[in-house]
Amino acid sequence: MGSKEVKASLDAWSFKEAFLFSAGVVVTGFVVEIAGGSQGVALPSWPLNFIILLLLAANIVLAGLLLRKSPFVLWLGGIPVGLGLIAALALLSFFGGVLPQEAGKGALWTQKLRLNGVFSSWPFALTVFFFLVNLGLSLVWKLFPFKASNLQFILFHAGFWMALACGVMGAADLQRVIIPLYEGRSTAKAYSRSNAMIDLPFSLYLQDFEMQEYEPQLALFDPDNDRLEIDELLSNQSIAEGMVTVLGDLEVRVEKYFPFAMKDEKGNPVPVSADKGVSYVKISGTHAGKAFSGWVSTGSPFERPAFVTVENRLLVLVPGSPKKFRSQVTIRTGKDEDSRSVALEVNSPKSVMGWKLYQMGYDEKSGRWSSLSLVEGVKDPWLPAVYLGFFMIMAGNAIFFWKGIRKK
Amino acid sequence: MTWVEFPYVALSAMACWGGGSLLGVFSEKRQALKITGTVLMLGGTAIMFLFLVAFWSELDRPPLRTLGETRLWYATLIPVVGFLVEYRWNVRWLKYYCMALAAFFLVINLLHPDVYDRSLMPALQSAWFVPHVVVYLVGYVLLAASSAAAWHNLIRRRRPLETDGESLSHYLALLGFVFLTFGLVFGALWAKEAWGHYWTWDPKETWALIAWLVYLGYLHATAVNVDRNRLQWYLALAFLVLLVSWFGVNYLPSAQNSVHSYQS
Ligand code: HEM
Repeated sequence: MGSKEVKASLDAWSFKEAFLFSAGVVVTGFVVEIAGGSQGVALPSWPLNFIILLLLAANIVLAGLLLRKSPFVLWLGGIPVGLGLIAALALLSFFGGVLPQEAGKGALWTQKLRLNGVFSSWPFALTVFFFLVNLGLSLVWKLFPFKASNLQFILFHAGFWMALACGVMGAADLQRVIIPLYEGRSTAKAYSRSNAMIDLPFSLYLQDFEMQEYEPQLALFDPDNDRLEIDELLSNQSIAEGMVTVLGDLEVRVEKYFPFAMKDEKGNPVPVSADKGVSYVKISGTHAGKAFSGWVSTGSPFERPAFVTVENRLLVLVPGSPKKFRSQVTIRTGKDEDSRSVALEVNSPKSVMGWKLYQMGYDEKSGRWSSLSLVEGVKDPWLPAVYLGFFMIMAGNAIFFWKGIRKK
Repeated sequence: MTWVEFPYVALSAMACWGGGSLLGVFSEKRQALKITGTVLMLGGTAIMFLFLVAFWSELDRPPLRTLGETRLWYATLIPVVGFLVEYRWNVRWLKYYCMALAAFFLVINLLHPDVYDRSLMPALQSAWFVPHVVVYLVGYVLLAASSAAAWHNLIRRRRPLETDGESLSHYLALLGFVFLTFGLVFGALWAKEAWGHYWTWDPKETWALIAWLVYLGYLHATAVNVDRNRLQWYLALAFLVLLVSWFGVNYLPSAQNSVHSYQS
């Protein structure tokens, strides 16, 4: 599009109209929302979402090419409208970013406007729709005829169009399920958030759930006030024999430290392997002229924790927070003995038959001894399209970085 | 070195910056004083750098987890932008704003002592952790400097508008926007690996998007001829939105269930 045309369209339809238009889009959205009973927008799923997207894209291309001279279309695909819509999206995101986004939460009027579910509301949907129109039109004009100098613009805007359009329209095809696994058992059943059962095309067998924890911490517990005092500034300092730490008004010395130990018949802790033992620490100190000493331990589902009493308070050992947890899983696909063994870990999902499996959680009461592992399964058929958009944005961004620096 | 020694470190760094600034401002003529001032200012930043290195090795993990830790990086890096801009474009005033901003971040840390905690929860143990946070840090540092430059332009408006100053806030904003965009996309890619979906409208994500949209708005406003003076106001104030997205989110009612609040 020539710069003369831009000027002309700016003169005819200035920022004022653009912002009025965006405000109108948002207000219309709210009116539709209330009229529809605050149910939000139910997005269509495959293949209807794909068809709608295709129609939208085709219409934008046709309008961009055939109505290139129409002042209205020029305006609709111009920067002022883009700015108005960016502002509208920022405003809606502001509501979504401040108010809790949960069904049934918030004041009645916010519920009526669906401000507790902004991102599935009509004003949001309409704003995104016109975003796609505005962005799409500007893109068509930069794509035809193609010029290499427009590459950065095209990568940015086309990438954003792809990511936004496919992300929003693909949401209805996104499946997220929870797969509970028990050690030594096999399952092919998953549960949706609404607790509906889903049969998976593969089965999972949990060989072992393992967990590592950070080091335990010494703490002072005051049962009368139900208060736990931890040496905050130095918390998580490695416990080591000979270490002295201050808890409240007590100075405590670490005499012995067994990361994993068990009591023998005489009641003395002895080191054992990690899967059997719990942490034991022998401490000593003096308080108000009286010496105290003894073993403290974190305890486990099978063993009561040990503590040392100092007047009316207790010296205890608090288990460290989880450091790593991992499920060793056998995946079986098909009827034959097609199987492979994988380790599921946080930040390290594994793919199988279009699903991605994530280590999600475990039985937190049992902690390290949990025999239950919660695995999340995610199926997102639109992901490649969204990622293509992301990579185009990053490529455009890289060019922008380069040119922005050089231009000066 | 840890948070235990931090107050001494912060006060020394601020004393260096403050003393250096005084010498720098009032010693236009005397070369020796000017050099002393420069050495002091650089020294303040060097102190912060050394502290970061020592803190990192003490923690056994990058000190990028808590807000207090990231404020250390701001306080260290924002003045660096000021020094670099002076070195490259001969703009002398930006560094003073930058040091003031850095001192502001240190004072927040002094008023809200952080917990010394070496643990790093499994969700953060990712190859994405450092690139995502560092890219954002650099972006925020640049945009902070851009805002400082914009404030300078507004305060000095009675004189003929300094075009170099104006383009300075502009270029810093463009550069900052590039980093924000990378940060946002990296965050999405990481979220997919860690939480199963690239975008969940979590409050922290939503606010990162708002901040991005604000600067996207600036970018498009400069593409059409919007009044330059008004855009200085825009850049000066846009940084407030960034501050909310970085530090303020945890205090919002929407953030009760955020997966991104790592401070218990
Ligand atoms: C996020 C949604 C976006 C929308 C709705 C949007 C919309 C627009 C529109 C309508 C134009 C005018 C096109 C024309 O006049 O030919 C434009 C121009 C521009 N956009 Fe965007 N854009 C978006 C994202 C971006 C992004 C992420 C960037 C990244 C830098 C960007 C950079 C630009 C630039 C540099 C121009 C000016 C092009 C020129 O003057 O030749 N836009 N944008």
